[in-house]
Amino acid sequence: MADQKKQSVLGYVFLIPSLAAFCVFMFYPLFYTVYLSFFDWNMIQPQKKFVGFQNYVILLRAPNTWKILGNTFWYIVILLILNWALPYLVSFVLSFVVGRMRGFYKSALFLPSIISLVVGSILYTWILNPVSGPVAILLKPLGIRLPFWTKTDGWVIAGLCIITTWKTFGYNLIVLLAGISGVSPEVIEAARLDNVPLRRIFFDIVVPMSSATGIYVFIITIVQGLQYVFTPIKVITQGGPNYASSNLIYMSYHNAFTLFKTGTASAASVLTMLLFVILLLLEFRFVERGVYYEN
Amino acid sequence: MKRNGSRFAAMILTGAMAAAMAVPAVSYAGDTDKIKIEYWHCNSEEQGGKTVDELVQKFNESNDHIEVTAKYNPDMYKGLMQNLQAEAATGSYPAVVQIGWAFLDYFSNNFSYTSPQDAIDKFDSEDSTFLSDNFLPNVLNLAVNSKGDQVGIPYSLSNPVLYINKDLLKEAGVSEDGPATWEEVAQFAKAVKEKTGKYGFYMQEPADFWAQQALIESNGASMLTKDADGKAQASFASDEGAEAMQLVADMVKDGSALHVGWDEGCQSFIDGNCAMLYTTIARRASVQDGAKFDVATVKSPVWEGKDRKVPAGGCFLAITAQGDDQIQAAWEFEKYLYSVESMAAWTIGTGYVPPRKDVADAENGLKDFLAENKMMNAAIEQMDGVVPWTAFPGDAGLQAEQLLLDMRDQILGGQASAKDAMTSTQDQINELLNAQ
Repeated sequence: MADQKKQSVLGYVFLIPSLAAFCVFMFYPLFYTVYLSFFDWNMIQPQKKFVGFQNYVILLRAPNTWKILGNTFWYIVILLILNWALPYLVSFVLSFVVGRMRGFYKSALFLPSIISLVVGSILYTWILNPVSGPVAILLKPLGIRLPFWTKTDGWVIAGLCIITTWKTFGYNLIVLLAGISGVSPEVIEAARLDNVPLRRIFFDIVVPMSSATGIYVFIITIVQGLQYVFTPIKVITQGGPNYASSNLIYMSYHNAFTLFKTGTASAASVLTMLLFVILLLLEFRFVERGVYYEN
Repeated sequence: MKRNGSRFAAMILTGAMAAAMAVPAVSYAGDTDKIKIEYWHCNSEEQGGKTVDELVQKFNESNDHIEVTAKYNPDMYKGLMQNLQAEAATGSYPAVVQIGWAFLDYFSNNFSYTSPQDAIDKFDSEDSTFLSDNFLPNVLNLAVNSKGDQVGIPYSLSNPVLYINKDLLKEAGVSEDGPATWEEVAQFAKAVKEKTGKYGFYMQEPADFWAQQALIESNGASMLTKDADGKAQASFASDEGAEAMQLVADMVKDGSALHVGWDEGCQSFIDGNCAMLYTTIARRASVQDGAKFDVATVKSPVWEGKDRKVPAGGCFLAITAQGDDQIQAAWEFEKYLYSVESMAAWTIGTGYVPPRKDVADAENGLKDFLAENKMMNAAIEQMDGVVPWTAFPGDAGLQAEQLLLDMRDQILGGQASAKDAMTSTQDQINELLNAQ
């Protein structure tokens, strides 16, 4: 009995370090952000002015907020296609269709993940320069002209997503490959003997059997993708032209560290967090049930 | 026993981790007797960063009691201001900082700094006339805020010039000496587009409104006017202002001018895809090194029959060091940066126009350099047209600057006419200014 008690005390002792880290770096900033969202403050004034819900009202009334919300939606859609659907397919192809050079493709596609996104952004400013970059030069003989993507609504989001994909594609691919490798080869072999088309092998066998990994990558694509996109936004467009490339996360940053309106910035962060909480709840409610966990 | 041993080890490990977290971050200085100060700048590698490092290294080697660390801040003066704000929130300050002209009022209203004359009087009293001996009054005046205080000393002085690709202009059949007026710029750009298929013109679009201020103020508009009570009001949406912005918007619309990011635009000029580039003289070195064609600079274009007005770009140096020994060290370093040799190195490395007297003609200064680098002359010759870079007063200044950038995007992106966008932006800015 005493031994058991000792065991559980010891368990809590082991928890302390990570709990302390969580408190200092997550819970405290979280509550402080909520606190700040009720004040008008520029980070150096000695006095914070209490304004109640005014920051939220200002935010919800500003037309730019809705534009940025729309942008965020498009970022999510494009990132899900490029960073979730596409690597899912590629990892399937690598596992069951391609026989040779698998190792080469894996490392080649993974390589950009270890390069800083700031470097990538600067690199892509040059590669995708619509007038004189290599892509523009290659497309010219084909009669295709690159749009002035950094200054064009819509294209700017696509361009920034491509840069982010360059960075995150490889990691997602490796994770999905690991997930797919859990599907037992006997099942696939049996399906092949029965002449089941590849398309159906993918959708009816591989996807359901690797859905635990699939849903994990789905969620980190949304949550981390929006944070990764921040870097090229900051380096290349600063949210422009006229907020066409800003997203919820950049909006918080812009308010806090460009305009020094910590109140509005915190309110924006809190709203973003609520939005993601709702999305996650929906996910648990409707998607999680259909997910297959091997263990 | 073995099991107990490993458990014991695990506990020690846990304790060590917890302890490591509890220890506050203390930095142990190697040389405890040296005063360490930080110098914050905005000079990326291609915009004078190497010269900053060389100057700092030389200073550190030439003295035994101060060690300067240079810290680069991305995203120009706005980026530095943001970092300074964040740093100040933690209660620590760098010793010497570069402050962009547009932030003169914002900086002096919100941060504690030491005026250069105060530092001189306190720590360098035998040289108490340093400022008036070495600087022209109108140049010193650029760093005086709206309350009349000398906040710092002008350091980097630049103004916008027009870089031209003579080969392309010749090919287009227009004068290879470049345009003198904005009307000619539009005309030349059109000719380039029609004759060569390349772009005619690009006007810099970084995260500030500096170049556009030159464009519209040269046409007789003014960014800011003080009314009878001395209250500042935005006033750029006049007919002249709108005419000026519309000229560039129309060029973008008919495809003779580019509307891209600053780096993209400069790249396109340097590799010969754009005939004229309107940007700061501070980019001279990188343009001169990169261009494989006959490149030259001409003075900032004027409007037919009107005077040239070019805002002073660049920055002044302010002392934000706290505590006497830090301030003294900061001043010693600053004085070194303003020596003839350092100023000359600075001009050669960056293309900024020297703010202090006697550098251009001195043998140990720029005499040989200017004889060889004729591209500097356009910037030096138009110093009589230099006006202060408009800083919107008070805490609303940052937001006003942002509104100008949004307005520029709307106009050049073709979402709104210059007149409409400028009128509504002017109203918004005045609303902000009146509210404070």
